[in-house]
Amino acid sequence: MGRYWEIASTWTVILAASIAVWSLAAATLPVPDYFLPPPAAVLSAFVELTAKGMLPMFIGESLRRIVLAALLGLFVGVPIGLALGISHRTAQFAYPVLNFFQSVSGIAWLPLMLIWFGFGERTILIAVNYTVLFPVIFNALLGIRSVPPIYVNALRTLGASRWRIVRDVLVPGALPNIAMGIRLGLAYGWRALIAAEMLVGANGLGFMIFNSQAFHLTARIMLGMGIIGALWVALDYFLLRPIEEATIDRWGMVQR
Amino acid sequence: MTAKITIRGLGHEFVNPFTRERVLALDGVDLEVKEGEFLTVVGPSGCGKTTLLNIVAGLLPKTRGTVLLDGHEVTEPGPDRGVVFQEFAIMPWRTVEKNIAHGLEIQSVPKEERADIVRRFVDLVGLRGFERKYPHELSGGMKQRVAVARTLAANPQVMLMDEPFAAVDSQTRITLQEELNVIAQATRKTILFVTHNVEEAVFLGDRCCVFSGRPGRVKALVPVDIPRERRRWNLLMSDPTFDLAKEKVFGLVREEVGKEI
Repeated sequence: MGRYWEIASTWTVILAASIAVWSLAAATLPVPDYFLPPPAAVLSAFVELTAKGMLPMFIGESLRRIVLAALLGLFVGVPIGLALGISHRTAQFAYPVLNFFQSVSGIAWLPLMLIWFGFGERTILIAVNYTVLFPVIFNALLGIRSVPPIYVNALRTLGASRWRIVRDVLVPGALPNIAMGIRLGLAYGWRALIAAEMLVGANGLGFMIFNSQAFHLTARIMLGMGIIGALWVALDYFLLRPIEEATIDRWGMVQR
Repeated sequence: MTAKITIRGLGHEFVNPFTRERVLALDGVDLEVKEGEFLTVVGPSGCGKTTLLNIVAGLLPKTRGTVLLDGHEVTEPGPDRGVVFQEFAIMPWRTVEKNIAHGLEIQSVPKEERADIVRRFVDLVGLRGFERKYPHELSGGMKQRVAVARTLAANPQVMLMDEPFAAVDSQTRITLQEELNVIAQATRKTILFVTHNVEEAVFLGDRCCVFSGRPGRVKALVPVDIPRERRRWNLLMSDPTFDLAKEKVFGLVREEVGKEI
């Protein structure tokens, strides 16, 4: 309780101080309003866009895209990574290939994708799903390969079948890496999504901040940026962390 | 007594992956472990005693010779040979009771029966109250008790132990040695136990097999004629039979270590 309040009050002070400095800077610096709008302007942009229904719609669109990519990563990426990792031979082959495609981010693919898939939703979805998928597959494979052989041997001497070794040793042993892959994939995917929406979107948070720039609606840009960061922090805190706490933290498999 | 494990002319060669040289780890090992016997293998580090154990476990291939369990050739791992490893090879994602039940799950033992057996072995290794704990919440000694219980619960024909107490502190080691002695007496299991610790080998073994340096061979077999119920550290501190056997084994091991220096 004491510790919680300590953290909460520290953050309140830091936040209040930052807003105060920002307000002061906006009021005193000799720059036009659109260059550095005060916090109050960002707040009123929030109220206005929420009332109009634009902001909830944009947030909803961006979240829909990232959730879709997350589901694909979880139900397609993880199984593919696990399957590739189980055999030493396929893992050796897949490793450099995955490593290569993981590093060519979805953004780098955008020019080619625009030619192939057109200027619209299809390209956004493909770019984001691509960006999420590779780190997820790559880390799931890595997870399987990094399970200590001693666990496998222990189970073999208990008479376990190959399938049981996969189920009881390799998959749970790969979980720390799988969790990391999902976290990394979604973090990269979230960035790629915003960038893709900026370039080809007709809605979403990326579209909102990029489109606002054309009209010098600086408060909206800042609002969008704040929401992009806040949504990720919330996703991480309320979804990813609890999953890790219930599994790999409980098993003592992560050093923090 | 009949031979439970028969090892004849066993040789093992491997290629060092860095130097590409062929290394002869074991050469012409002949050894018999009798039914219900506790046989300890002791020798200098790198003498191939762990290799021997892994071959008997079926985890390593043999280059020459035969390994028989009850007269049947051993080629792969199987539940008839339970292994306790030096590293704590229990699953971090399973609780104590789930780890102990693992072998029984693999054998498809029905749930109620499984719970009974697990309870019995939790008691045998003194882990009551820790059934729901995860391995990272246990001390090294407790983890190794879980590993021993898991192996015994699966009811193997023989138990193979590879320096199981090398990674725990000396106080815990003494306790674990005494506990294992009690377990050996109670279960009458055939046990093949590898160690580099002479005192441990003599304390636990009905016979103590001394290995030569690389390539590993059986150098000598030293019988330790002390009944199980007398094998407690406070009783053996000034026991002439124990001291004599210990000195003998120590001398034999020393010769081998001396050769390498």
